[in-house]
Amino acid sequence: MAETLRIGVAVKHGVDVTLTRADRATGRVDLAGAPRKTSDFDKNAVEEAVRLREKHGGTVTAITVGGPAAREALREALAIGADEAVLVTAESWSTWDTRAVARLLAGAYRTLGGFDLFLVGEGSTDHFGGLVGPRMAGELGIAEVASVRKVTIEGRAVLAEKDLEKEVEVVRAKFPVVLTVGQEINTPRLPTFMANLKASKKEAKVLAPPDVGLAPDSLAPVVVVEKVAVPEIPRKQVALAGASAEEIAKGLREALRAEGLVP
Amino acid sequence: MSPERIVAVSEEPALLPDLVRVGRSVGADPSDRVVAVLLPGVPGDAADRARAAGAHEVHRLVAPASTDPHVLTSALEEVVRTLAPTLILVGSTKRGRELAGRLAGRLDLPAASGVTALRTEGGALLLDREALSGNAVATERIERRPAVLALLPGTTAPSPSVAPPGPAEDRTVAPVPPLTETVEVRAKAGGQLEIEKADRIVTIGRGLRKKEDLPLIEALARALGAEVGCTRPLAADAGWLSDDHWIGLTGHRVHPKLYVAVGVSGAVQHQVGMRSAQVVVAVNKDPNAPIFAQADYRIVGDLYQIVPALTKVFST
Ligand SMILES: Cc1cc2nc3c(=O)[nH]c(=O)nc-3n(C[C@H](O)[C@H](O)[C@H](O)COP(=O)(O)OP(=O)(O)OC[C@H]3O[C@@H](n4cnc5c(N)ncnc54)[C@H](O)[C@@H]3O)c2cc1C
Ligand SMILES: Nc1ncnc2c1ncn2[C@@H]1O[C@H](COP(=O)(O)O)[C@@H](O)[C@H]1O
Repeated sequence: MAETLRIGVAVKHGVDVTLTRADRATGRVDLAGAPRKTSDFDKNAVEEAVRLREKHGGTVTAITVGGPAAREALREALAIGADEAVLVTAESWSTWDTRAVARLLAGAYRTLGGFDLFLVGEGSTDHFGGLVGPRMAGELGIAEVASVRKVTIEGRAVLAEKDLEKEVEVVRAKFPVVLTVGQEINTPRLPTFMANLKASKKEAKVLAPPDVGLAPDSLAPVVVVEKVAVPEIPRKQVALAGASAEEIAKGLREALRAEGLVP
Repeated sequence: MSPERIVAVSEEPALLPDLVRVGRSVGADPSDRVVAVLLPGVPGDAADRARAAGAHEVHRLVAPASTDPHVLTSALEEVVRTLAPTLILVGSTKRGRELAGRLAGRLDLPAASGVTALRTEGGALLLDREALSGNAVATERIERRPAVLALLPGTTAPSPSVAPPGPAEDRTVAPVPPLTETVEVRAKAGGQLEIEKADRIVTIGRGLRKKEDLPLIEALARALGAEVGCTRPLAADAGWLSDDHWIGLTGHRVHPKLYVAVGVSGAVQHQVGMRSAQVVVAVNKDPNAPIFAQADYRIVGDLYQIVPALTKVFST
């Protein structure tokens, strides 16, 4: 019997950056009560995992680290087509930093018996750190390929296209391997009504830090957020209007002359 | 307080001088040291440029050149063991974030990426980083050392006035077998443009109906002496322009004197790329487009009428 492919995917239920507002007086953003949603790239990661399973067989396990509301990210992953869902949680979840999350994901990876492929977002929509995937791979001592835009499985290895600033590097990595993926890799499917319904009925497996081999006090943050603020950039907000496009254009020329930007 | 020993890594050689300058500004005490570490295969002039930027020491790692993250982080682990730094700086590029994350995972170190400012307070590091897709700035504190920080390209500090002299030291690192194998490297289309350095930019978004209409925008850019920028959909989805034109969170951060956004809605992920522009002009047919909140000069109208008029007026 051929070994079945085991794919893990990390999904984050993060702050919805399009809905967060800073306090007008202080410029500060209160993240505790902010609306949340599934991180964008993580849906691409789930989609890619499901496509690989559809082609090669095997299972897809979605894992999230967070509070009770993070079940929503798991539900979305199941609706796209993940087979299993795992929530890693504890009371102190909201204090966990990137290090804690990567350690918990690495712990879950080990506890669940390892994966051939583990897909992670290249950056989460709210934090956009891009450290969790490589950090987890480093912790586990396994290979990783970041910024993957195309992946194919060849035997017990992947061929992955790594999208760098000025070049594309095609990389071969034997299993097990962590891949970080961005938005360009695919377009996630819109789950059908039935898929959504089925997903909301499926129970997630719940793991606490000790279940994945981590003492709760080993997860205290080492990078502590002191404040999050929206920098105020004053803009002149001058509306340029006119009877014709040419008149508007001349108005802009005057304005840019006054700014010293055009002769 | 013990002296800072700051290692700046050349994962992207062009960024090394800035990492060294930021290192010098953080470790400003005479007993602090900034050490530039050149990864295997980095061109020789990087050593001189690191010196000129103020590195006290330059160490050239000697090993076969490799892009395998395991090989590179293993070399850096050895650096951490032998040089015992208090802080490790890399560029917040794709490769830089990968190395920072992997190294932090190997050695269980605090790490942060997208860092735009850095200072010390007592023995702690205080850093600013982009947060909420660039919508906000998070100030974060790190007590535990060493820490690994990936600095956003463009983050710099004044050059210290005295450049410490001295040759580069060669340091042989123990080879480890790679975990990945490079099969092929392809240069990306375009790639010539350095839009982050442009003084003037005309950026086009999805307001453009078809690729064939691009000359309209190029003509305006020419009239203004500007480069052409674009939003993510035009580069990543439509492929009308190469990635080097792409501005925003997943593209380039630009700092021009003049930024003209045409047919751009102004999503937060775009705004982060153009926020530090000095003067912003927006042309959009939707008076409620979010880009207008970021604009000094607002033109509500159809770009197909406005842009040709602008080109004409700025050409004469
Ligand atoms: C994680 C993540 C990262 C991202 N990174 C980036 C990034 O780096 N850069 C980036 O740009 N985006 C990025 N995006 C995408 C971003 O959210 C927006 O989808 C994108 O910026 C929209 O591009 P646009 O303004 O060209 O298109 P649209 O939002 O479709 O806006 C088009 C605008 O053109 C106007 N328009 C239409 N016709 C005309 C006309 N005839 N005349 C004048 N105006 C007209 C419309 O009113 C509209 O405002 C990212 C998204 C995510 C989730
Ligand atoms: N709390 C979390 N739970 C599960 N996965 C996460 C979590 N935080 C981050 N990740 C994964 O790590 C990726 C990168 O996150 P970041 O390093 O925050 O940009 C995300 O796209 C997720 O795949």
